[in-house]
Amino acid sequence: MQNRTANSKQTTAGRSQVQPNTTTQQPRAPPQMVQNMARVTDPKHVPKDTRDQFLKKIHFCSQPYDFNDDTKNVKEKQERSQYLQELFDLLKEPNFVNNLVVPHLDLIIEMIEKNIFRPLPILKKTATNGEIGMEDDDQLIDPAWTHLQPVYEYFLQLIVNEQPDVKSLKIFITHSFIQEFLELFDSEEPREREYLKNILHRLYAKLVPRRKMIRKAINDCFYTLIHETYKFNGAAELLDILASIISGFAVPLREEHVIFFKTVIIPLHKVQTCQFYHEQLLRCSMLFLSKDPTLATFLVEGLLRYWPFANSAKEVMFLNELLEVLEVCEISKLEPLIPKLFKRLIKCIAGPHLQVADRAMCFFENDYFLTILKSYKPFTFPLLVPVIAQIADTHWHKVLQESLNALKTILKEIDYQAFDKALNTKDPKYLYIIQDAKNQKKDRQKIEEKWKNLTKQALQKNPNFKEPIVPYSDTHIVGEHNGLNNGNITIL
Amino acid sequence: MSENPFEVLKEDMENEEVYLKVNAMHRVKVVATLLGSDKIKSQLIPYFETLLKKEDDEVLFALAEELGNIAQIIPNQSSCLLSLLEQLAGFDETVVREQAVKSIAIVCGFLGDNDIANTIVPMIIRLASNDTNFTCRVSAVCLMCPLYARAGNQKEKIRQKFTELCSEETPMVRRAVATKIGEIAQFMDKIHVIQDLIPVLKQLCQDEQDQVRLLCMESLMNIAKILNSSENKTNILPLIIQSAEDKSWRVRLALSKIFADLAEAVGKEIADSSLIQIFSNLLKDTECDVRVIAVRSLARFIKFVSPEKLNLIVPLLQLLSKDPFSQVKQYACEVIGQIATLLPKEYSQSKLQQYLIDLMADDNQDVRRNAAKSAGQFAAAIGPEALNQFVPFLKKCMDDPKWRVRKETMQTIIQLALTVKNPDVFNKQLESVFVMFLKDRAAEVRSMGLIQLPALIATYKQDWAIGNFLSKCIETLSKDVGSLYRINALYAIQQISFAVDGPIAQDKLWPIVQKCLKDPVPNIRFVSIKVAKSLQKKIDNQQTLNQIKQSINELLEDPDRDVKFYAQEALQN
Repeated sequence: MQNRTANSKQTTAGRSQVQPNTTTQQPRAPPQMVQNMARVTDPKHVPKDTRDQFLKKIHFCSQPYDFNDDTKNVKEKQERSQYLQELFDLLKEPNFVNNLVVPHLDLIIEMIEKNIFRPLPILKKTATNGEIGMEDDDQLIDPAWTHLQPVYEYFLQLIVNEQPDVKSLKIFITHSFIQEFLELFDSEEPREREYLKNILHRLYAKLVPRRKMIRKAINDCFYTLIHETYKFNGAAELLDILASIISGFAVPLREEHVIFFKTVIIPLHKVQTCQFYHEQLLRCSMLFLSKDPTLATFLVEGLLRYWPFANSAKEVMFLNELLEVLEVCEISKLEPLIPKLFKRLIKCIAGPHLQVADRAMCFFENDYFLTILKSYKPFTFPLLVPVIAQIADTHWHKVLQESLNALKTILKEIDYQAFDKALNTKDPKYLYIIQDAKNQKKDRQKIEEKWKNLTKQALQKNPNFKEPIVPYSDTHIVGEHNGLNNGNITIL
Repeated sequence: MSENPFEVLKEDMENEEVYLKVNAMHRVKVVATLLGSDKIKSQLIPYFETLLKKEDDEVLFALAEELGNIAQIIPNQSSCLLSLLEQLAGFDETVVREQAVKSIAIVCGFLGDNDIANTIVPMIIRLASNDTNFTCRVSAVCLMCPLYARAGNQKEKIRQKFTELCSEETPMVRRAVATKIGEIAQFMDKIHVIQDLIPVLKQLCQDEQDQVRLLCMESLMNIAKILNSSENKTNILPLIIQSAEDKSWRVRLALSKIFADLAEAVGKEIADSSLIQIFSNLLKDTECDVRVIAVRSLARFIKFVSPEKLNLIVPLLQLLSKDPFSQVKQYACEVIGQIATLLPKEYSQSKLQQYLIDLMADDNQDVRRNAAKSAGQFAAAIGPEALNQFVPFLKKCMDDPKWRVRKETMQTIIQLALTVKNPDVFNKQLESVFVMFLKDRAAEVRSMGLIQLPALIATYKQDWAIGNFLSKCIETLSKDVGSLYRINALYAIQQISFAVDGPIAQDKLWPIVQKCLKDPVPNIRFVSIKVAKSLQKKIDNQQTLNQIKQSINELLEDPDRDVKFYAQEALQN
């Protein structure tokens, strides 16, 4: 026991004084039991006492204990650890597995369920009212973990073991088992999530008939994350598993998988806690795109649709992803997205956050992106040129100003005439992105006037008419976010 | 002048900024009013159809809301909006869906019962049977509740579908059902509740997901409200017992949260016979969060059980007041204060008083604060004899290093003084603690005493104010303590001046203020001016009035600007 879990012990040092003197510990894997088993060839003729001993240990390990309190049931817990170790060692004896483990798989799975299926604790940093704003190191330790780890390890080895075949395992891996198992992924203990990930991965690999069910349960997990809870600790781990599942998909993709891409992978981007699993999400997305590049436009559309609001770190992540995804897109398919795409980029460049602006500028160093830009010149130039030209003169940050000027040169080099034409347009439509609220208001004046008239008419027609409440005024935060009140940029 | 409203809307919707489109969408009401029902049908609705596919969720959210408003403009023909709303109800985005459901409910308000049975019910069933989109099924569940009552002969169909959805494999749907089952029960005949809903509620209470079981708790309470005592006993009580022993602490916590309401819902009889026992276990739960929530519910729970059963709770309180988790103790204090008003005096005095006194000296400031607060309630319930015991400890609390504790104690003392209304008790016990506000080093505590001073003067009359209390004020003023204390004392004198007659103001108060007008600290000088001003209003004696004027006049030449300002102001009026 002590040798095997040496690693996990180190991290929880000081907590696990469960075994003060275990010098009289039994030798690992009682040799007698193994010797007895070595002679057995037929599962029906396992010596009775060996079987009894085995069953007794399984039963003992199924007992629940309060693992949060180290002072309770010290002796039993110690014994339990020892049994688990023995059971674990016995998995290495093929004869034993065949004749005892496989026939009693029901009890073993029950033992595992009883141990790991538990309401997840909230890990408290300290039990007392700690001061708010204390150092925030990741010292979240589930005191029960030392006792859970051997069970997980056992489960993992059981699945890895080749002897329990698919048929006998399949019976136990039901829908409700998977659902409860997936709920554990919300655990705050990273080591637990790692085990869960490995086990689920192996289960998926091994139990071909259960694959569809497992995928569906994972979907439900993500739906919950997207539509209800907005936070799920195990999202990154689940996406890790998905990544390898996706790489196994046959080409062309089945419709079911395309739906999954559209209803799970894309909406996962909008979740507030996206940062925690973005790396894995990106990998899944790219794997999908490698199987079916036509999905790229949907992803671009999704990214533009769920563009982060007032979260610059997430914006940088989105920009990175956007560029990667664009490289997979077929240029001709992008047409409907071009206005939104370039407007978004301009907003990022003209926005108040330097890193975001910088990241957006990087797009223009990408050859494929420049090809897109050139292909849609009639649209992109009138949008880009006036705005870039203006902020190149006025931008507050020197380095960015330099690269804006460089960009101006690039655009000029691409097509001098178009550049000039765009620069000298009388009333550049998109300049409003970098204008302040006052100018914006002037532009809106005409249509606001019309609305006012219409409201008057409506009042005449129906004296009980109540004027509609318009949610966004020009001083509203949304306007600011869109660069409308952008104090960094002064307009002549 | 004669713009086409529909064109204006379209023009504004061409805008590329989402927020402007949302604004435009909210003005649809104007357009709809002007267009009239025919054109709404022929122009507006087909236009909205085109928006569904291409617009952002924000715009669709606004659309879902505005469709409800349009329904109010064309109440008789609002059913034409349903197809749009049905589509929106199946959308991925939660807020859009929910808004669509709300708007459908508005539309239904204008429909006759026939329409409900012939169009709405089939729509709900359609949504509920959509196997590919769980969002449709969730929306269907939400629609069933408000419309069940009007479904006429289709009620059975809805019931059947609802119970069917309870056994869904998709957890999202089960969660929706668990939340709504209590609500829909309100609209059902009791017989159906017992026959159809109770079995599925039982099933949901045993769901494999603790989230589902947790959501059942609120529904459990709502259903308990419509059943009678014996029905509750056979149907609801077993579920409560089961949930109190749930392996997930989240479920136990949810149960603890609603326990008081649950007790109210099932009635006194069951509360007395069974709930106290169940609740005791929750109060002793191994998870401290459960205990915290349980003890918070306890304060209300005790109102719903018979007083004679309360003695079962007292031993628990003794346990809770020693809980290792300070939040538990904090709320236990409140319960002790409350329960004392319900128990026989001698009983609470002998069983609980000592615990409360111990809590007043707890390590945690929040516990001390709540203990001080409850001590007031406790002492008020027991009567003057308990004050003897408490006052020394309250006095100690006034020396607490944390001002919040002192403030709460001050409040308690004042409350006690105002409820006791007995000058003897006040003079002997409370006054000495009360006057400590004059010397407290936290402004919050000082102003606390000041604010309540008029009420105290009203209760204990002028004699006390100009007697004992005034002498304390004078003491504070004369001792060389910080100027802030002196200002506080001056304001106290101002309060006294409001309550006393002219001669007393003139003889007793004016000399003090007069002295203060010459204080070396400018702030005190101008506060004195203010106080002198209020004295002016009381005093009739011309000679004294001149004196006051004279003194203020001298301050017109004060080196301090603020003092000059106040002096000027005082002389102007």
